[in-house]
Amino acid sequence: MDKREVPIPVGTTVMMERTGETMEEMYVNMGPQHPSTHGVLRLMLKLDGEVITDCIPYVGYLHRCHEKIAENRTYPQIVPYTDRLDYLASMSMNFGYVLTVERLMGQKIPERAEYMRVILAELQRIASHLLWLGTFGLDLGNFTIFIYCFREREMILDLFEAVSGQRLNYSFYRIGGMAFDFPDGWVADCRAFLEWFKPRIPEYDALVTGNILFQKRLQGIGVLDAKRSVEWGLSGPMLRGAGVQWDLRRNDPYSIYDRFDFAIPVFDTCDVWARFLVRRQEMLESVKIIEQALNQLPAGEIMAKMPKTLKPPPGQVYVRTESPRDELGFYLVSDGSPKPYRYKVRSPAFCNLSALPEMMKGYLVADAVAILGSVDIVLGEVDR
Amino acid sequence: MTAEEILEQLKRQFGDALADTEVKGAEVRLTTTPDHGREVCRRLRELGFEYFNCLSGADWTTHLEVVYDLSSLRHPNKAHVRVKVDRGNPLVPTVSDLWPAANWHERECYDLFGIRFDGHPDHRRILLPEDWVGYPLRKDYADERLVPYTDYGMEERVARTEAAKGAPKETKAPAAAPPKPPSPAR
Repeated sequence: MDKREVPIPVGTTVMMERTGETMEEMYVNMGPQHPSTHGVLRLMLKLDGEVITDCIPYVGYLHRCHEKIAENRTYPQIVPYTDRLDYLASMSMNFGYVLTVERLMGQKIPERAEYMRVILAELQRIASHLLWLGTFGLDLGNFTIFIYCFREREMILDLFEAVSGQRLNYSFYRIGGMAFDFPDGWVADCRAFLEWFKPRIPEYDALVTGNILFQKRLQGIGVLDAKRSVEWGLSGPMLRGAGVQWDLRRNDPYSIYDRFDFAIPVFDTCDVWARFLVRRQEMLESVKIIEQALNQLPAGEIMAKMPKTLKPPPGQVYVRTESPRDELGFYLVSDGSPKPYRYKVRSPAFCNLSALPEMMKGYLVADAVAILGSVDIVLGEVDR
Repeated sequence: MTAEEILEQLKRQFGDALADTEVKGAEVRLTTTPDHGREVCRRLRELGFEYFNCLSGADWTTHLEVVYDLSSLRHPNKAHVRVKVDRGNPLVPTVSDLWPAANWHERECYDLFGIRFDGHPDHRRILLPEDWVGYPLRKDYADERLVPYTDYGMEERVARTEAAKGAPKETKAPAAAPPKPPSPAR
């Protein structure tokens, strides 16, 4: 019945290469309900023994017609919907959207509002990276770092709550400015938080960065070199982890980012470890930006004079901003009516996730969780 | 290389195939046909636009449209290429071999607009279930489960506020409930 002379042990790639035969493929289903897919993502892993030979992501479980809904809402009404895109970085999502509409309208906004936007967006970046670091540690079995990160993240959420009354979906940015001014004493609280936060990074280092077990699990896996990273359209920490110095805050400055002095962390090992280091370093750079912004924060208006009904002139615009995940793009087409004719979100995690199969191939199934974790996906914006 | 020079080079190569050419800041904007879309993208890639930002569809009721947003990591220029697609036969050559990044974008465009991409390696729906009927982002998409958005327009709301000013305050009757969606057919 079987012509093979030597029986092939299950899952031994060496034997398969020797005989040139392929064994029956084994598919393992990961998700959609899986604690380390950070939402409802389903991955079909094609395994040869313990080696991943292919990975097929299935997305769309959270699809909620974001773009279709937006076509039936007025421009200001869309702001709360953008919160739900990346629900871990709502401020940054608001920022990208209102910036797009303002650019379509050619609207200038008051200085104070610009500074408030930057301060909140950078705090949001820290909060998002903290949550990433915590859950990433959790994925890898390091529960302690999760608790530490959430302690600091909670402080940022308290700051946000003091500003906007919300802890997750802020809807705080307005087309033309900000909803409210900082409450009394908020700036001092923010400074106190930054002072508290800066020594925390060495604390995390002692827990994870310097932990040899942690390092060994991350180094050399999920490698995607710089050329392929660019071709796959990766951006943000993924691209900087591949040694490409590219940050939209520096290379295509929007808002008032050209006024601040900050470094762009770049690591060139192209693996999960490099992405980890980039995000770790970015938190410190965000602290620098917030400190400068707080020092320069001018007094004055926080809302430009806006018409009661927003009717941007006909035209189309694509605006990209650096969200905590990556390049967040909004493509808006206006036909002169109060509702957008076409509204499209270029969601960063969607683009990064598309490169996942290439990053997964050839690594062990035990690394799948770490590689997926390094992409830092939020399914709310992948599925839209 | 400036955006004008890039546009000049493209015009020299493609001539009449380009329409609505425009330079807006550092951005080159142009419209072309499905036959030339891929070649224009390839030429732009050679000119240094190695980064694929975004691909989006649009439904202009007379025709469909595929919009490519490209940029470079080496120079500050951007490109905004619009390809007009026939509604009857929406077929465009794929660019996912030039930029793998376009792979999922094209699948999404197919999923929501029904534009097919010739030569795509994995031409399936991505966000919607595979047995979904229709392309939701088309303007003529109809589904019995879709409930029209019954919101008072902004102007109407302003008019009501103005009318309410001065008028004696009356107890507001509860707004009529929006029509319930019929139960899902499937």
